[in-house]
Amino acid sequence: MQNSTVDMIGLIKSTFGDKVQIQLGALGAAAITANNGLHRDVLKTMLAADEKTGITAITGLDLGAIIGVYYHIHTSNVFVTIKTEVTKENPKTQTIVDLHLGAAFHELEVADLLGVVFEGHPSPGHFVLSENWPEGIYPLRKDVKANEIKLVPTPASEEIQLPENKRLVKIIIGPQHPALLEPEKFAVTVDGETVTKVEPRIGYVHRGIEKAAESRGYMQDVYLMERICGICNSCHAYGFVGAVEKILKTQVPPRAEYLRVIALELNRLHSHLLTLGHACLEIGYETVFQYFWRDREPIMDLIELTSGNRVYSSLMTIGGVRRDLKDTDIPKIKTTLEELRAKLPFYRQIYENEPTLKLRMKNVGVLSKQDAINLSCVGPVARGSGYDVDVRKDEPYSAYAEMPFKEIVYTTGDTWARMNVRMDEVEESINIIEYAVDNLPKGPFRLELPRSVPAGEAIHRLEAPRGELFYYVRSNGTDMPDRVKVRTPTFANIPSFLKTAIGESIADVPANFVSLDPCFSCTDR
Amino acid sequence: MIDFFMLIFRILIFPGFAFLLLLTLFCDWMERKIEARLQNRVGPMVAGPGGILQPLADFIKLLTKEDITPRAAKKTIFKFAPLVAFTIMVFALCFIPIDGASVLSANGFSGDLIIILAFATVANFLLFLAGWASCNPYGTIGSARVLTQFLGYDIPLFLIALTPAFIAGSLQIANIAAFQSTHLLPFILLAPWAFVLFIITMQAELEKDPFDVPHSESELVGGLETEFTGAKLAFLHLTRDVQVIFGSALVVELFLGGPYGPVFFGASWFWFTLWFVLKLLVVVAITEYITVVFARLRIDQVLSGNWRILLPAAILSLMLTVVLVTWVYPLVV
Repeated sequence: MQNSTVDMIGLIKSTFGDKVQIQLGALGAAAITANNGLHRDVLKTMLAADEKTGITAITGLDLGAIIGVYYHIHTSNVFVTIKTEVTKENPKTQTIVDLHLGAAFHELEVADLLGVVFEGHPSPGHFVLSENWPEGIYPLRKDVKANEIKLVPTPASEEIQLPENKRLVKIIIGPQHPALLEPEKFAVTVDGETVTKVEPRIGYVHRGIEKAAESRGYMQDVYLMERICGICNSCHAYGFVGAVEKILKTQVPPRAEYLRVIALELNRLHSHLLTLGHACLEIGYETVFQYFWRDREPIMDLIELTSGNRVYSSLMTIGGVRRDLKDTDIPKIKTTLEELRAKLPFYRQIYENEPTLKLRMKNVGVLSKQDAINLSCVGPVARGSGYDVDVRKDEPYSAYAEMPFKEIVYTTGDTWARMNVRMDEVEESINIIEYAVDNLPKGPFRLELPRSVPAGEAIHRLEAPRGELFYYVRSNGTDMPDRVKVRTPTFANIPSFLKTAIGESIADVPANFVSLDPCFSCTDR
Repeated sequence: MIDFFMLIFRILIFPGFAFLLLLTLFCDWMERKIEARLQNRVGPMVAGPGGILQPLADFIKLLTKEDITPRAAKKTIFKFAPLVAFTIMVFALCFIPIDGASVLSANGFSGDLIIILAFATVANFLLFLAGWASCNPYGTIGSARVLTQFLGYDIPLFLIALTPAFIAGSLQIANIAAFQSTHLLPFILLAPWAFVLFIITMQAELEKDPFDVPHSESELVGGLETEFTGAKLAFLHLTRDVQVIFGSALVVELFLGGPYGPVFFGASWFWFTLWFVLKLLVVVAITEYITVVFARLRIDQVLSGNWRILLPAAILSLMLTVVLVTWVYPLVV
């Protein structure tokens, strides 16, 4: 992705001069503080200068009398944060959805949790909170008390609004549905068998982890963050740990970085194998599903071998990892990975040649590269459409700069391409782990660090199995963080599903949807 | 009087109801076991040796469960459709020669092939009614798909079933089977293309992969079964299993020479039953293999596959048979 030569920060400096304050090196390449309203102009300039500009997240945070709204923006070569603020009395700002479509969900979330009003948003309303949430209470504000929250009783039966056009039928997929393993609702309007509209509703299992993190110590938060997602748990723990280490300005020992890479890649391996199998289940191909899940088991065993736990590995800690890798375990890791590698050609052949599978996956849910950029898609979804984003390559973290691996990009943008990105990444992950165990540096695997963290703020980006995972941590100098913001990859990828489902057959919805590898417990932190 | 008791015995015990029920449950177990082994699983393990009693255990368990009729459902159809469908399927099986003769008579009657195919159609229609009467969106869509699919595949099924009838020169199942046995030439060798087509069509009629769109869990929850519980669900499942036996038995009769085979010693009915069951199990294994190696197609793909490929192929197959029977086979046989 490092192909654009635009000096974005220089451009903003020359365009806006003294009207914005630029703090280099903070929250990405730079933090740009702009007044409410001016932030739109900054974003407009960035969008015009670089077509790959997109939004990673919007963080809202309670700063006393004011609410900070941070727009985390990625372009093809830098990552910047535009800071603006609104007052609590009048928390209004202009929406940026008209500039960049990918911001729609982020704005809804900030509006729900902090009460910022984004004027001109195309579809305002509750997105994370339930319908019976009382007006005027915003859970992420500091002055909220749990015992003051009185849920408003909802009417017994919800009025069903029939579409005016009689040909249209509204089918509700979720919150309980066999195609969704986790509770979310998608109201799909169909004309015959063709989907004309999809309305998502998330938040059914929102656990308020971001709020809970504010009342726990940093060490406790590592394990709390791990609980966001069972599959990519090491990624979440590392996202938090990485951000805190940036605030502490520490460098963890190289051996710890290598061990982290191994844990992160094992996460990716078993997550991808799970999805590759699950996609087959959605198209009624149970056999391949069973095969994939059988071959996933040895990877789970490796996770247990390296961390002591099968699912929640609890390996990451602030300052390194909690457990060293024994030299005697290395042969076992290598033979297991070798066995998996030997099985891959078989699976690849199934995806290449199996006629019924190709009928159900090829040309299903086609997402063009331009749409992927406009909707700020991440991970395999973006890479399947030819949009080459991979944080491991773009902004190498941990020991990834030393790892030899290819960035997998397919250009067709259909379900089949998204699944094949994952198939190829399985092989790359095996390469990375093998390189890491072969070249494991000697030395300590953990630093002892103070329990309290100096005041400051930091972001951390990493490539989770489903795409870019974004963490923002703000510390106020105590032993508990002031604000933790998590932007999960599924949250960023749902808009692409809403886009691709339209005009497709209703029967393609499950296959298309599962190709995002949706994880709702991630989405509902 | 003896004849009367014999008839009752034949209907109720062997080769009638009890035997067919046991065969159905055994085939269900075998299907599950084959599927599991092909998918690298173990399959039923606990009930009985190798889990062989699992289908029976499932059936009894469902009978003991609470039986709920939704308020919105059309009650009469909802209650009776599964039972009637099951009865019709068992009745259709009674026309198939199992131990050298069918349950009701020694040789059947002219045209019983058409009758049992019609029975199968009626049973499918009853299943559609059952889902439709449940007034559940998933059930309704599922049964609408059952109807669309079986309307499409019934025509090719009839046309292909006529191929063996044409070669044997009879619409009587017993005669078709006997023809193959007297000429020592099962029709699978004489008309292999029709055998392949028949298996594919059968797969679609039985709603098995790759044609199991009417109950694709990822879209339709349980399809037409969504609202069914307890005994009604048990009978729906049993109807499906009997349909599998019925389809496989038809393949055995039409293409594999029916129950006839060498009689080594003793009573011929024993050997005929043995050959019938063995051939049946082979057919069940073939269909199960097809189920395992394919993914589910989409409803529009299933329908276009039917009207664009299978129906023309069935007509071509019939034309080829006519040509062969009229001009070629007389030279050989």
